[in-house]
Amino acid sequence: MKIKVCGLKHPENINAVAALQPDYIGFILYGKSPRYMANLATDALQTIPASIQKTGVFVNESSENIDRLVTEYGFNAVQLHGDESPEFCAAFKGRVTVIKAFGINEDFDFEQLKDYANNVDLFLFDTKTKEYGGSGKTFDWAILDQYKLDIPFFLSGGVGLENIKEVKNITHSQFYGVDLNSRFENEPGLKNIEKLKEAFKIIKNKTQQMKYGVNEQGYYGDFGGAYIPEMLYPNVEELREQYLNIINDDDFKAEFDDLLKNYVGRPSPLYHAKRYSEKYGANIFFKREDLNHTGSHKINNAIGQILLAKRLGKKRIIAETGAGQHGVATATVCALMNIECVVYMGEIDMVRQAPNVARMKMLGAKVVPATSGSKTLKDATNEALRDWIGNPVDTHYIIGSVVGPYPYPDIVARFQSIISQETKAQLLEQTGKELPQYVMACVGGGSNAMGMFYHFIDDEAVKLVAVEAAGKGVNSGESAATTALGDEGVLHGSRTILMQTEDGQVVEPYSISAGLDYPGIGPQHAHLFKTGRGQYVSITDEEALQAGLLCCQLEGIIPAIETAHALAQLEKMKFEANDNVVICISGRGDKDLDTYINYFGY
Amino acid sequence: MNRLNKLFASKNNNLLSIYFTAGYPALNTTIDIAEALEKSGADFLEIGFPYSDPVADGPTIQHSSEVALENGMSLKVLFEELAELRSRVSIPILLMGYFNPIAQYGVERFCKKAAEVGVDGIIVPDLPIYEYEKMYSSYFIDNGLSNIFLVTPQTSEERIRKIDELSNSFIYLLSSSTITGYNLKLSDSVEEYYKRITAMKLKNPTIIGFGITDSRSFAKACNYANGAIIGSKFVKLLGEEGYMDKIDGFVKGIRP
Ligand SMILES: Cc1ncc(COP(=O)(O)O)c(C=O)c1O
Repeated sequence: MKIKVCGLKHPENINAVAALQPDYIGFILYGKSPRYMANLATDALQTIPASIQKTGVFVNESSENIDRLVTEYGFNAVQLHGDESPEFCAAFKGRVTVIKAFGINEDFDFEQLKDYANNVDLFLFDTKTKEYGGSGKTFDWAILDQYKLDIPFFLSGGVGLENIKEVKNITHSQFYGVDLNSRFENEPGLKNIEKLKEAFKIIKNKTQQMKYGVNEQGYYGDFGGAYIPEMLYPNVEELREQYLNIINDDDFKAEFDDLLKNYVGRPSPLYHAKRYSEKYGANIFFKREDLNHTGSHKINNAIGQILLAKRLGKKRIIAETGAGQHGVATATVCALMNIECVVYMGEIDMVRQAPNVARMKMLGAKVVPATSGSKTLKDATNEALRDWIGNPVDTHYIIGSVVGPYPYPDIVARFQSIISQETKAQLLEQTGKELPQYVMACVGGGSNAMGMFYHFIDDEAVKLVAVEAAGKGVNSGESAATTALGDEGVLHGSRTILMQTEDGQVVEPYSISAGLDYPGIGPQHAHLFKTGRGQYVSITDEEALQAGLLCCQLEGIIPAIETAHALAQLEKMKFEANDNVVICISGRGDKDLDTYINYFGY
Repeated sequence: MNRLNKLFASKNNNLLSIYFTAGYPALNTTIDIAEALEKSGADFLEIGFPYSDPVADGPTIQHSSEVALENGMSLKVLFEELAELRSRVSIPILLMGYFNPIAQYGVERFCKKAAEVGVDGIIVPDLPIYEYEKMYSSYFIDNGLSNIFLVTPQTSEERIRKIDELSNSFIYLLSSSTITGYNLKLSDSVEEYYKRITAMKLKNPTIIGFGITDSRSFAKACNYANGAIIGSKFVKLLGEEGYMDKIDGFVKGIRP
């Protein structure tokens, strides 16, 4: 969605708005408007960056005057806001961007626009008033459905912070952008920068994700969707219809933020690891998700989803778990909210992550072994889905990673995005720069990695490094290196990349770390991989265990074996001395002590 | 008009369909079992092709799928077995399975091959309407294959209408939101649901599946729909010694 800010007339205010980088800035050259910019010197707009379209707004002005003013001020666009004819508009087409504005009310006849279609670049639909705009009132946006031409349009009139979220929900295929004016002012012609900032944040939150983010149908490029049996359709549809409204609601946000701060202990520190920095010749930062309550990033998602489940009126929670971290996080939030909790866990994982099984039970959850297939995470996920099919009304499935049918990958990514949101602010504070050169994380399904990448995805200068588990080696036949070994297909409800036979049977993965022992990756990761936006690599069991020990000895931190995979990748990177590198310490190693002890013989 | 349409045109109640998993209990049994079922009076059949992660299935069909995969069953092998289908079996045949094996085989190639061996319809529980319509429907239609959609008590009226529009042989009604292998529940709310469907006067016939196990539940289902499908109960029989000799008794026991 493009943003146009209109009706500026004070030089400092113009510079402050330009700094927010809108796509268009509008200047009103209509003498009767309180926002008339008559007193601005002709060179006052020169400081505006070229990326912003400088737009002159005219009402029934003569074409000679318009021509003169376009030249004097250097406008790139003209907005014709009066009763200008199609021929009048045509005279400017090709020289500048021509925007024809119309006042809309319930009687507006969209047929009349046909004559303009070949003579303008954009339409702008404003609320109909006697004063040619600036009324601060909205019109009924539902009427836009009657607009069927293929010229994109700006929406104008009464857009403010109160209704900006509704603007974001407009799905008209020609909806081009939004015009912000009178509701963002201290006085006519003087814009309120704080309010504008807030609006930009809300608008960009969605559009920023466009290139690598999810579309309306739940796809990330070729990946995603909701490949689910009809029995699951109502459950997933309910979520799809409600999740954005719920998680964008102020009450929800307040409760989520409060629990993250006071229960989980956020923000988690961004720690400048000095000895690692020395060893690897760059500034290495650890994003300490291991310090969260319950010991990993999984709690961020569990908190978000239990609040979502509560608002959906659900009485029972199910979850799958691999390493047990997500199961523990889910059992924890269910105890907190006094909701029944059933966790499915592969029979094999129950043995290798026994302490977490005990934890879940202490927290009041019922742990059900998944005994089918490979008896690990993928089978636990199957069992959870089967449970959900049989309990479609009262149960919410808290999925533990950025996998599953849409909207799950987006829900989990949003709840985990707190990781990169905090990192940006912390980097700015510690290094003076928001953007690092690298962000790195391990990938099972990919939730800690997506949380670590989320707010950096559209900053293409930031390299995204995702580390999968190679097990005993990519070509050993015992591996979980999905991008190296997998092909496109469908797993657990989404089109993604997964390890499979030629016949489309899912291959049983292997990794020493239960949390990475999954034959697929989330659909957004598949998209980042396929487009080359992310670099996907893999690390063997042995490399990971060695890296885990190194982290203990250099930094005094015992990482989860999952996390140790990301740390091991540092050995293979070539950094410049000034590079800032953030690595997500997704969890702590308490649950893995047995494995470490057996391997190193302590 | 494929064999399914002809069947429904000539007979519209007490239709009996049987499901079984190809490759279970052994390879090269598919046609033998199909032939025996036809002889015993089954009206049409669903032949399942196995998948490693059958999320809509309960323990019985999960087990049959696992064994079938161990036996070496795959779409390639199944189509080889089905080459002589139409020289031995004349009732309508549907293939039923999950989307990923089809996607790997190639959806277009799968539809062509299915039509070539004489299959009449396809049931893919995890291929949603949106993806079917947008990407794959032409392959089904061009090859004369009916795609069968499922409806549960939670499916909205609007969506049922849409499914009715997209269907061209029958609609598969689930007695409740459940995986396969659990007994039919006939509570008041289920009756209400069947009545609601009947009142909608859909253009396609309806067949009830999941949870039909015996003559009683079969007869009940036929009160509300044009027929019913037996799956897990028959697959269990295939796990027994001497199952070939028991097929006739099984079918006649369901619909005396
Ligand atoms: C500590 C830790 N890190 C990473 C993972 C992998 O999950 P994801 O890829 O969703 O972050 C897990 C999963 O259990 C985990 O416990």
